[in-house]
Amino acid sequence: MGTPESTTTGRTIRARAAGLTDQPLTLLTVGAFWTWLVVRWTNDFLLDGALIERNTSFFPTAPFESAASTLGGLAASLGPVGFPVGWVAGFFEFLAASIPYLPPLATGVWATILLTLLGIALGFVIAVPLSVARVYGGGATRSVALGYTELFRGTPLLAQLFVLYFATPLTTIIRELPTVGTGFIPAQAFWVAVIAFTLNSAAYQSEYIRSALNSVPEGQLTAARSIGLSKVDGIRHVVLPQGLRYAIPGWSNELVYLIKYSSLASFITVRELFQRTDSIASETYRYTELFVLAGLLYLALVISASLLMEYVEDRVAIPGLGTTGR
Amino acid sequence: MSDPLLELDDVYKSYGEEQVLSGVSFEMDAGDVDVVIGPSGSGKSTMLRCVNRLTEINGGAIYLNGECVTDADTDVNELRKQVGMVFQDFNLFAHLTALGNVTLGLRKVRGIDKAAAQEQGYEHLEQVGLLDQADSYPAELSGGQKQRVGIARALAMDPKLLLFDEPTSALDPELVGEVVEVMRDLAAEGITMLVVSHEMGFARSAASDIIFLDDGEIVEHGPPEQLFENPQAARTGEFLSRLETTHEGE
Ligand SMILES: Nc1ncnc2c1ncn2[C@@H]1O[C@H](COP(=O)(O)OP(=O)(O)OP(=O)(O)O)[C@@H](O)[C@H]1O
Ligand SMILES: [Mg+2]
Repeated sequence: MGTPESTTTGRTIRARAAGLTDQPLTLLTVGAFWTWLVVRWTNDFLLDGALIERNTSFFPTAPFESAASTLGGLAASLGPVGFPVGWVAGFFEFLAASIPYLPPLATGVWATILLTLLGIALGFVIAVPLSVARVYGGGATRSVALGYTELFRGTPLLAQLFVLYFATPLTTIIRELPTVGTGFIPAQAFWVAVIAFTLNSAAYQSEYIRSALNSVPEGQLTAARSIGLSKVDGIRHVVLPQGLRYAIPGWSNELVYLIKYSSLASFITVRELFQRTDSIASETYRYTELFVLAGLLYLALVISASLLMEYVEDRVAIPGLGTTGR
Repeated sequence: MSDPLLELDDVYKSYGEEQVLSGVSFEMDAGDVDVVIGPSGSGKSTMLRCVNRLTEINGGAIYLNGECVTDADTDVNELRKQVGMVFQDFNLFAHLTALGNVTLGLRKVRGIDKAAAQEQGYEHLEQVGLLDQADSYPAELSGGQKQRVGIARALAMDPKLLLFDEPTSALDPELVGEVVEVMRDLAAEGITMLVVSHEMGFARSAASDIIFLDDGEIVEHGPPEQLFENPQAARTGEFLSRLETTHEGE
């Protein structure tokens, strides 16, 4: 007697299917991607192009060009059976053609990350009280929270961006603010996009958090109240720490969505990844290379976000809380 | 005469049409251990929950140390600092260790700093024999250990009165003993306890009074030897014999 039913620790209790974090190749690729990004940004933004000129890629194109032409020649000489070699040649051709566009796209990636992080973080700050209001609020509070969520989930994000950007005085107000659009501070369109993403993402995040809060057993708040905690304190110290842990997997989806949906900011002239890709493509007519490249960059961001969230989920895991509960 | 520690005075409670408590009255002095028995649905849990106002009464009044605690302007959080509760299904805070469970109230309700709260927390865990499990999470504890943490959590607030709602009925039979033992210790220390339980061993040996509740009314109220050996009401006798039949395998 007196021995615990289970002596499992945080990691083993989860018995999770192998995730991204267990794949060395993914980790290596993501590591290389971020090394490149950080060196690129440091060179372009902080060192004023000290390592390499701003719009010059770190990677030379010549080797890929010559590989492409050699392999192209080989493919041609092989005749009808040469097509696999032709594909490899095409791949090198793609690399050679894409490399020069990496530097401007890296700048776009910076804006995309900034938009996403600000939107998700500020959205979270709104989403938590919103979801608490949905679950624990009185009639009026609950209705207001529900109305908000329905409004922002029920209308297109693009429409929300347009309304905020064109139909409200927001744009003018932000433009008049000191330092907006100077130095490292982005111009008004960026901030309008941040506000739109914040408001929109708060609605979606609150849905994930709300259902997670609902999965915290009622007895938890009862017990909290029975030791003299107020309802608000009980929610804060007992329900939320559990509910937010339950919310992580769903919430991670929202982060991934927002990375991709942040491309809508291009419609209100924000110079993020998609906008830069599109504008370079229309100048150079290299649509295929540029959009494939942009797609790969988005993919790298999405995988990074998933990795990060897996790591966070692992770090905050508590035996008996989380995956076993669902 | 000083006031009784707890007094229920003609307490009524209904849920919609359903009358759950119909004029419940009794008193407890400091140091008393009263055990409430009664059939399922008779209103035992409801009565306990009325005392710390997890449930609001519809009529009558409840007094703690002579002070009415069922007034609309009573601070329920103040009341609950003085009245601890132990639940049937433990309700341990799932995200906190045993120590965290015991210290949360000290820190967030009493405002004691972390180090001092932990020091007190260790003391209360020792009181229930779980010092070595201080860093275990609820999921890592056996049912009996969970309930002892639940008791330590309630004790930590230094309550004047402890409420127990069937503290052993969710436990495997072999784990009941360790919890009952802790409750006996508390009774011996003079802690005032109002216990809903059908654990007859505990009731016989530790109770000052037994309260038999049936259909929202106190049918019989008296010392264990009287109530068990010589029940006055026919209903009490019937209930007790049924209880014996259901428990005879143990
Ligand atoms: N929150 C509630 N809403 C509506 N009815 C309730 C509520 N809580 C309890 N009841 C009803 O009140 C009656 C008494 O319930 P209570 O839980 O107090 O009984 P009990 O004596 O503790 O029973 P048990 O031995 O099964 O725990 C039951 O008929 C129950 O359905
Ligand atoms: Mg009950």
